[in-house]
Amino acid sequence: MIRSLPGRLSAGAVLLALLTFVVYVGVDLLPGDPVTSRLGPNTPPERIAELRHHLGLDRPVLARYGEWVAGLFRGDLGISASGRPVTEMLSDRVGNSALLAAMAVLLLAPLSLVLGLWAAWRRGRPADRVVSAGALLLVSAPEFVVAGALVLLFAVSLRMFPAVSLLPVGASPLAYPEILVLPVLSLLLVGLAYAVRVIRASACAVLASPHVEFLRLGGASGRTVLRRAVVPAVLPVAAQVWLVTGVAFVGGAVLVEKVFGYPGIGELLVASVQSGDLPVVQALVLILGAAMLAALVLADLAVVLLTPRLRTGTR
Amino acid sequence: MTRLKWTLFGLAVLAVLFGPLVAPHPATAPIGPPFAPPGTAGPLGTDQLGRDVLSRLLHGGAPMLLTSALAALIGSGAGVTAGLFTALASSGRRWVEAIFVRPLDLPAAVPPILVLLLVLTALPNRAGIVLAVALSSVPLSSRITRAAAEQVIGRAHVEVALARGESWAWLLGREILPLVASTVLADLGIRFITAVYLVAAAGFLGLGTSASDWGLLIVEALPGAALQPWALLAPVAGIALVAVTANLASDALARRSRGVLG
Repeated sequence: MIRSLPGRLSAGAVLLALLTFVVYVGVDLLPGDPVTSRLGPNTPPERIAELRHHLGLDRPVLARYGEWVAGLFRGDLGISASGRPVTEMLSDRVGNSALLAAMAVLLLAPLSLVLGLWAAWRRGRPADRVVSAGALLLVSAPEFVVAGALVLLFAVSLRMFPAVSLLPVGASPLAYPEILVLPVLSLLLVGLAYAVRVIRASACAVLASPHVEFLRLGGASGRTVLRRAVVPAVLPVAAQVWLVTGVAFVGGAVLVEKVFGYPGIGELLVASVQSGDLPVVQALVLILGAAMLAALVLADLAVVLLTPRLRTGTR
Repeated sequence: MTRLKWTLFGLAVLAVLFGPLVAPHPATAPIGPPFAPPGTAGPLGTDQLGRDVLSRLLHGGAPMLLTSALAALIGSGAGVTAGLFTALASSGRRWVEAIFVRPLDLPAAVPPILVLLLVLTALPNRAGIVLAVALSSVPLSSRITRAAAEQVIGRAHVEVALARGESWAWLLGREILPLVASTVLADLGIRFITAVYLVAAAGFLGLGTSASDWGLLIVEALPGAALQPWALLAPVAGIALVAVTANLASDALARRSRGVLG
């Protein structure tokens, strides 16, 4: 399976290349026109044509796509509609968003494993009912709704954490840990709900299997059953869920950042969509898509490393 | 339990659909000072322009819900059709899979929220929302339908119908679809939940279905949350209510379909 890694990486690269093509050419094929929707319907046609020419939109889409891809290799993501280079607009924000997602995943992994195993161990008892019901309720709530509820609870009622992430320009959010709490918590709660459900289901299946019954009949303690049978079987699934949830954080963070005004790429993405700034949106979708594909490759790799049968290649 | 879940969802839908009829004020008319607390003006207070929060909530729900339902139906319908056709066409023909099925993995790898943002940039209106939801539904819907249909396609009654020389429409509509209907319905439930999420997210971006879209209400209430928490609590609770009851109902459907398939 390790030998298939180059194959997986190249498949990921092909997928990413296709994604950029769809993002660039597909958006161009949509019936709407960013220039018209930005200037409004009453703009004289000459003015629209002038702006289209200025932005290079009057040339064929394939030529523009080729130049865009060539620019990518030079580290140039194009010029935003506001006239600033896209790379300059992104530089600080990518790190801030990565920090948010990384913290959420780091908290997610141990919490979801403990809660999922606990609920599976106490299957059908009150503890399981509380965890499962909580997970079912949270899993369907959009992140920005959870974020709104957290603002009401922790910022308005309890006044514990700020509702808005005010950050001096260029400062790292790490220097102001209190602004990170609510955004991370919003992401964490929704991701946790999903991860706990999957880990609980997987642990329940293992606990009902014949070899666990055999261990128990042999007099193994609860701790031994967990350590020898349940955890090794659940970990590959859990690792995959964590990484997939990490990917979902990338998308969820877009709206959560907007709720708190957190200076990450999500907030920029929202602002760019609202102003119809296509070059910025394309660059951000590319970055988010690349992060996502990287996480999926990592997830596959984690499954291989945690499953002896796949690692040794004797399937 | 199933009936209870469906009753809850039905009540939530009815409340949202009949909301505009019972709203005490128009969604746009100011009725008091901005961010007035409940009691002084309106049962839930007023928003940043002095409009009645309750009336805006009641007016904004129905377009949101109807757009979600329409988008989920279109996305799921296209996905089911594609799934059934590829299942029948690719039985015994590998190249069909390579040409028609693999490309659908690509949009499946893109988070729906990115699809929404991308489509809304070029098409910032209601059609854009429906298109985005449909685009993000088709790959997953078609994959699930195909997996369900492939289990059915080798059965004797399908072979008999093939031997009778029935048309594709007959094969898919009369022989296969009834057997995978429960899976299709459960999938439709999941698509509807995604649709509610995306439509609310579009409103949150200020590109929603109406001037008092619930997502929009959340954004507008955030700056004044300390003064008028009710303006924030009302849409948060509204979206949570629709999303959670829809999820409960779809969960009940999914359980039943697993019984049929397993």
